[in-house]
Parts: sequence; C-alpha cells; structure tokens
Amino acid sequence: MAGAYIRGVGLSCALGENPEQCASAMQKMQVGPIDLQLDDFHEPLRMPYYRIPDDADLFEGSRFERILPPVARMAVERAGLSAAEICRLPLFIGSSCFSIGLSESHYAAALSAHPDTAMPMPLCGGYQLIAAIIQQALGIDGDVYTYNTACTASANAMLGALRMLKLGWYQHALVIGAELANRTTLAGFSGLQIVAQRLQPFDAARAGIVLGEGIGAVVLSAYVGSDSDLRIIGGASNCDTWGVTTANPDGNSVAAVLNQALADAHIRSDQVYGIKAHGTATPMGDTAEAIGIRRIFSKTPPVTVIKPYIGHTLGACSVNELVLFAGALERGFIPATPGFETPDAALDLNPATTHGAAPDGCYLLNHFGFGGNNVVLVLEKNAS
Amino acid sequence: MIGIVAANHYLQPIESDASLPSLEADLRELCREPFRRIDRFIQLALLGSARCIAGQTLRPECGIYLGSGLGPIGNNIVTQQQLIRDREIPKPFNFINTLGSSAGFYVAKNLGLSGQNLFISRRRASMEAVLNLALADLLRGVVEQALVGLVEEVALPLAVHRQRQDLPATQVLAEGSHWLLLQSGQQTARQLRLHRFDELSTLENFLFGSWMQGDCLCCASGMERSAEQRLQRQFPGCIVSAWDCAFHDSLDAAWLTEFAIGDRPGQLFVVNGNSMRGWVLFQLGA
Repeated sequence: MAGAYIRGVGLSCALGENPEQCASAMQKMQVGPIDLQLDDFHEPLRMPYYRIPDDADLFEGSRFERILPPVARMAVERAGLSAAEICRLPLFIGSSCFSIGLSESHYAAALSAHPDTAMPMPLCGGYQLIAAIIQQALGIDGDVYTYNTACTASANAMLGALRMLKLGWYQHALVIGAELANRTTLAGFSGLQIVAQRLQPFDAARAGIVLGEGIGAVVLSAYVGSDSDLRIIGGASNCDTWGVTTANPDGNSVAAVLNQALADAHIRSDQVYGIKAHGTATPMGDTAEAIGIRRIFSKTPPVTVIKPYIGHTLGACSVNELVLFAGALERGFIPATPGFETPDAALDLNPATTHGAAPDGCYLLNHFGFGGNNVVLVLEKNAS
Repeated sequence: MIGIVAANHYLQPIESDASLPSLEADLRELCREPFRRIDRFIQLALLGSARCIAGQTLRPECGIYLGSGLGPIGNNIVTQQQLIRDREIPKPFNFINTLGSSAGFYVAKNLGLSGQNLFISRRRASMEAVLNLALADLLRGVVEQALVGLVEEVALPLAVHRQRQDLPATQVLAEGSHWLLLQSGQQTARQLRLHRFDELSTLENFLFGSWMQGDCLCCASGMERSAEQRLQRQFPGCIVSAWDCAFHDSLDAAWLTEFAIGDRPGQLFVVNGNSMRGWVLFQLGA
C-alpha cells in the first residue's frame, strides 16, 4: 500500500461547523478571533482567542460531549463505512487538553462546596475522555491510541494510523484532533509570555501565538473511497533536545525531519509543490522552521500558514489544519497567510498574501511541538 | 524477529502517606547531567530508562515509546491547585510538565537520542498500545531500535489517589517505571511476538498449541473479567493476575519486564482484549 486515502472529514472550528463552511470562510479570508477576558485570577488575563462559534459558555463542561460526536460522525458517514467496519474502527486521538477543562470545573465546584476536602485533579475520564465519548456516540469498539505529544499530538496520531494501515493491521482508521478552551492552557501559555495580540507567521514583527479551539476528524483508509483524491503518502517524526519549548534555531532537526519525510514518501524535494508550515509566529519557532526549510529546498515552494484562520489549536492542529488545507486544495487554491506583511530578511521565507493555484502533486505538512517533537507529513493531491 | 536486548524497571509499593521514596540519589548516579525543574513523573522515566539501557549502545535514532495511564499526575495536581484554588497563573515549568511529552524529552536528552519520541495512553492497556506502535515501526523498518517504557506515578495522599482512580480502599498502590529495549532482526535470549485473535477460542487453541512446561499467562488489568475467568479454568495454576499485587495503571508492563529481566525458563504470555474488539497476545519467549 502506497499511502492512506482521506476518505471522510469533519471539522468544527472558529470558521464554522463543517468542512465546506470552513473552507468557504477561508477562501473569503474571514479571520476573527474574539477578545477574551478571564477574571478568574488575581491578575486578569486578556487575549485574542479563536473560539468555536457556539452559544455556550466557553468553559462549560459538556461542550466536548456536544461538539465532538457530530464532527466524528460527519467524517465516518462521509467515509461510507459499513456498520461492521465502524464497530471495529481504531481511534487515533491527538489532543493537548483531554479532560482538563472538565476536571477544572469539577474541582472548582468541589472547592466551592467543600473547600477542606475537595479533590484536585479529578480524572473525569482523563486521557480516555475523548475516545469514550466517540465510542459511545458512534458505537465504535476498536483499539484506541491516545497521543499526548503537545502540538504534534494529532500529527503523530496521523502518522501512527498511516503506518498501521500500511502494515495491513487495519483497513480504516479514525484520526481525531481535539482542543477546547480550558483555563490551564490559556493561563499556562500566558505565563510563558508567548501569547501575541495578532498572529503574524514569519513576519518581521511576529510576536507569538494566538490560541484557538477546534475539533477535526479524518477517516484514513487503505484503499480509495468513492471520490477521494487526497492521500497521505508518508511522514516522519523526530526529537530535538535543544530545548523543551522550541527546536534548535539552527534548523538542523527541522531539516532532518523534512528529509526523513521525503524519503519515507519516496519523493524528492523538487517534487514538492507547496508547504503548509507550522508557523506559530514565535520568534524562535519560525526561525527554526524557516532555516530548516531553506536547507532542504534550493527554491522554496509556496508556503502557507493556516493558524491565522483558526488560531493555534495545539495538539489538534494537525488534523484541523489538514481538513482545511485539503478543502482548499480540492477547491483549487493554496490559502493566503493573513497577518504576513513584512518579510523578515533573516528568515527569507515569505508566505503568500493572496490565494495561489493548487496543482496536483505533493505537499508537506509541518508540525513542531514542546518536548522537542517534530513531525512532517506528505500529502498527495489527485492520488487516484 | 523482534529481540529484547535489555530490560529493567523500578517497581515500588507505596504504603505510607509520610512521603514518596526519594529518587534523587539513584538519578545522580544514572543521569549524564543533573536536570532542573523536572517533576516526579520525569524522574521515574529517567530512572527506569537509565537502568534499562545500562551498558547498552543505543543508536541515536532509537525511538522512544512512553506509555502511561495517568501521566504526570502529581505535577497536574500542583498546576490545577495553583490555577483554581490559588487563582494564580501556573509556573512555566509546572505548565510545561503537564504535557506528557516532557518526560520523553528528558529521557532522549539523557540518552542522547534524536529519533521519534511518543507519549501514548490507553487506560489499563497503555502497554499494549505502546508495544503495538513500537512493533509496527520495527516491523516496517521505521526504527531499528525501540525503547519502550511504561511509567505510573502515585500522588499522596493514598486515599485520594485511590478515590481518583475508583479503586477499592484496600487496594495497595505502587509506582512503576518499566522499560524494554527492542531491536529488529536481533537474535537475543528473549524474543517478543504479537498475535491478534478475533475469537477467544482461537486464542485458547493457539495457547494450547504453544504451551510448554513452566510457561506463564498474565491477564492484563484491562481485560474482560469473564474471559480471564475462562482462561483460569483452562490453564489452572498458570495465571497471574494484575490485581493480586500492588497496583498501578500499567501493571501488565511490570510482569513483562520482570520476566524479560529474569533467567527463568519458559514463556510469558500477556493477553488483553474483549469480545468486541478482539484479543491481543504478547508472547515473550526464547
């Protein structure tokens, strides 16, 4: 088997509640983070945030149970799997938050009711919450692989699914990326002082990340579905121990994982038509990525960053951005990168400011995360 | 052919609320450098992995496959208390260490590794999940060496830690860090094989066909209890149950590692699964 076909997708993010709505909004370059203020702390927090436009309180405990099943169901239904195939569908889940938002709510309620005996960190399903909700809602009882590798979690989930499909251990796999708002993440990143007021990937004035939430789902299959013409044909993952929060700005580990991904997909760098960069817009992160890319490509192919449309959805970003990027490719365009205005001469990497053409061919999907995790996937358009 | 090149672990029942055993003296001896701002989960990962690879030569691209049911629970508790009870922004290192991948980062740094580095969880079956992924990568040639670890931490007080996991009040708890170094194409004293079965009866037939004097069967703690009872009837006196000793969420890894370390004859079979998703059998033998 040469790859894994993208056979069904689902998505709910700041742009909308299904892939078509989101792709259409992206095509119109609708970018709209909200102004989020948190008064829960001694020092109130204020930051832009890309939220899913539901009517609920942002931290309401049941949002996972309400938003997640329709997204997963959308992907599975579009994949056209039989009831028996759905029942044994393995789940590959990538997230940064898991049940932490629910756990915060339960602990806060317990503290309010019984301050002396309140148990901190109730599990509320823990790492298994997302899988349990999907299994119950869709009647799935297959193997579960839950990845917690920070911002590369759903990219690693995708890679794990791809490798098991290639081995023939499974015929189909449901890959989920899930990130919903929670206080730990918002306050934690604020404490790291890398949250910016505006997302400007690879820009000379870039100042950091803007967070967002989103839930995406992809059904990968060992064989082609009805109208699928996109497939993941390879990928690689490595670890850079230069620093726990960023890759080495010399670009070495980024270049290494790009090379490994190209080799795994059996393609050369001159066969890559475009790159969906990770583009967190942190000064160091973008430096490492830009220098790594330039080491591999004598002439850099078109580069785009999806995060200005939906924010940085952390462990879910790979699946969320894949669904959006795939939607754009199917509509024939490589998305522009809102927020990029002033080139940084030190990076020499300039994402497009207008939508570009998206011909058939290979595209790289970059992901980098805390813990030194680097993951690159290779996507092929018009695979059939 | 997947060979077990090395195995070692740390397994410590925790029976007192006084304090957790200090790991620092062991870490000073085993780690290449003193790591600052690490939590107990990272300490446990460093300790187990360093014990496992002592005297071994690792390839830099060796993959790390770290599994855990609960992850860095002690640090997560501290972080949540800072956030909710104290209404403070979490300290940066507390926040960063809430991510499971931090432990793998320090293991990689300590061992000089730059390959794939994963953190995987499956409640009561994390060992099965990480071994599946590691074996898939070894069989496909993605990696030639895989360092597989299962780490579980206890957070005091014990009664609250039991309550958090819905465990009986009498359940003895343990901390563990269990590690195997696997290598593809390597003829070693112990080999690891993975088998999958749709039906329990097919698994039983396989066991009857493979069984030798002195073999041992371990039912993982996530396994369907009715199936465990059926296997107990089929293989009387041969079964060890994860529930019979000090418990943590990845206890089946303790059995596997202990068997891999020892020089006892025979094979160890570790079985997990249920009638819906099928059965997985790890065969550790010569």
